[in-house]
Amino acid sequence: MTYSSSLALNRNRYMTKNKNSVSFNVSRPKIGPISNTILLVVLGCLLGLLYLTQVTKTDTYGYQLNSLQVQQQQLETQKQNLEVSSAQLQALNTVQSSKVSKVMTAVTPSAVVPN
Amino acid sequence: MSNNLIDFQKMSKKRIHIMYSFLVIFVAIIIIQLFLLQIINYNTYKNAALKSQLKQYQIPAERGLIYIEGGNGSQVPIVLDQKLYTLYADPSFIKSNAAANKIAKKIAPIFNANPGQLTSLMETKNTRYIVLGNKLSQAQSQKILSYQIPGIGTQGQDYRVYPEGQLAAQVLGFVNQNGVGEYGIEQAMNKQLAGTPGQVKAVTDASGVPLAANSKNVEIAPKNGDSLVLTLNLGMQSQLEKILAKEYTATKSQGLSAIVMNPYNGHIKAMANFPTFNPANYQDVSNQKIFQNAAVDDDIEPGSTMKIMTTAAALNLGVIKPNTSFYDPAQWTIDGFTIHDIKIDGGAREQNIQSILALSLNTGATWMLMQMGGGQIDRQGINNWYEYMVNHYRLGQVTGIEQGYEAPGFVPPPNMADPSIDLRYANTSFGQGVQLTALQMAAADSSILNGGTYYKPTLIAKTIYPNGQTKVNPPKVLERNVVKPVVGQEMVPLMEGVVKAYLYGGFSFMNFPSNYIVGGKTGTAQLAQPGGGYYKNIFNGTYAGFVGGKNVQYVVVVYNIKPAVPGYAGSYGAQPVFADIVHMLINQGYVTPR
Repeated sequence: MTYSSSLALNRNRYMTKNKNSVSFNVSRPKIGPISNTILLVVLGCLLGLLYLTQVTKTDTYGYQLNSLQVQQQQLETQKQNLEVSSAQLQALNTVQSSKVSKVMTAVTPSAVVPN
Repeated sequence: MSNNLIDFQKMSKKRIHIMYSFLVIFVAIIIIQLFLLQIINYNTYKNAALKSQLKQYQIPAERGLIYIEGGNGSQVPIVLDQKLYTLYADPSFIKSNAAANKIAKKIAPIFNANPGQLTSLMETKNTRYIVLGNKLSQAQSQKILSYQIPGIGTQGQDYRVYPEGQLAAQVLGFVNQNGVGEYGIEQAMNKQLAGTPGQVKAVTDASGVPLAANSKNVEIAPKNGDSLVLTLNLGMQSQLEKILAKEYTATKSQGLSAIVMNPYNGHIKAMANFPTFNPANYQDVSNQKIFQNAAVDDDIEPGSTMKIMTTAAALNLGVIKPNTSFYDPAQWTIDGFTIHDIKIDGGAREQNIQSILALSLNTGATWMLMQMGGGQIDRQGINNWYEYMVNHYRLGQVTGIEQGYEAPGFVPPPNMADPSIDLRYANTSFGQGVQLTALQMAAADSSILNGGTYYKPTLIAKTIYPNGQTKVNPPKVLERNVVKPVVGQEMVPLMEGVVKAYLYGGFSFMNFPSNYIVGGKTGTAQLAQPGGGYYKNIFNGTYAGFVGGKNVQYVVVVYNIKPAVPGYAGSYGAQPVFADIVHMLINQGYVTPR
């Protein structure tokens, strides 16, 4: 049996008397069980991919947030360091040993009156 | 239709059915497996996953800062927090001496270290952690890390920083390596300063970074500690410490403490001890006693400075007047022991209240105790005096100042089983057999001189909450009617008389400007021997006094432990320190003249 004869045989199954054979040739597309399963799997994969995209998207925000928090901590540390430097520069010992105070002269208080 | 074709179709169908069956079985297996994993063993796997992913971190709370009054209402930070870094090496990453040497030469100049020492440290065997340097700054740490040397890292840690160095060291205390306050205000206010650490429970990635968007995440923010503004005045405290350092050497002292207190609200304006220490390097101190704020923690027999309290009690009971005279026999025999004056001032003769204080007559103080009873030392007098010491002057109990290890002192109970209770109580009238801290004396004398209100001594002027709000610490009255207001007024000239007596007696440093009022009382106390009795040649010197303009403005108390001076410890050991402090207060403009 050739390929064309098998096709003819196939067509014959739908042939009956007084009917236009052309109309029998219009066959509706059918999805077999394998295709069905594959389609389902593909669909499932797509859904999974979509889910993963969303999850990793929120996790990316997590990394961004973490990075910002680290930056905030660094800035706070810098602020702390500046406050310490400021306090050290204004400390009594620093002021006393400064060039300006070294050239100052002590003044005897005029308010001290002997009894 | 040929049979072959039918067979082929059947076979195809059969194959499809077989494949389909396999597929169904395969899917069924997966579904069953998923069912087992996600439904039946859900909790097991969930817990296992959470165990590896869910991490818990503690977020440390920032410790509160400490400020003091800087003048003109300003606040000066004296304790700050700073993140400093520990530089460490993992020697297993450093393979050879040449590599260690190369690293050492590269990093040593950044923090002024010795490259040779660093090399030998990096070659330490059998360890994976060796500290190369401590307290590196953020810039130093970042520079070293920028070299990305394998096996070299830094670790940040918060440290207390003291811009004013050792100023008020014993009042402040320090924070140990576990972050706990020890001694001073750091210990007493540790809970409030430390705050409450926060917590993060978060699902993390493989490297431990928290994934922010997860329903399992829990974040409790830390509650930072409160900051404190102390009542201490920067200038006054600094000057006081210089005076103590100078007088410690001049009087060959074993320990010197002094307090300047505002008698109208209990605020301590300056409080210092010598020797002292630098709280930034507390770990270098071998003698832990130096950590203690002796003005609060050490109670001693004060000696004749106690006569201020004895006189005020007798005046308040109405058994004497400021101008009362009496015949002083120069000695009393009580319970078989003789009480006589440490100064022999002409023997038995007529004396008065002013001369009891000016000449520091122990027999006079004993006589005042006798007047509190029935004219001799009896139960009534002992009970009256005990009532004043404990319930008026609040001796024998802690004042509640915000300091670690405050000593309560000691007052002998009148009902104690002591056959010499009369003698014991006679001794207390002139400051022996009773123990007081310098702070207890300052607070009690303040309550007399302010007209009868005992304020709780305090070091905290304000609390600054983490949200920036400020709460002023109001004065707390612990006792009213300590003495009548008139007694406070009567005590001022009596104590001024003591200062004048010393001035006329040749103590020229007791000369103060006439537009100020300065009064006080010396105390020379014998030291009790462990086996009973007193040492013959070791004394503590004390001084309690005041300075003011129109009214008393500051109460000043000095304790000088075992000074080696050519004379009475009170007059020559403590009195010069008091004089220096009062001159400083006047000269620096802290006292408003009348």
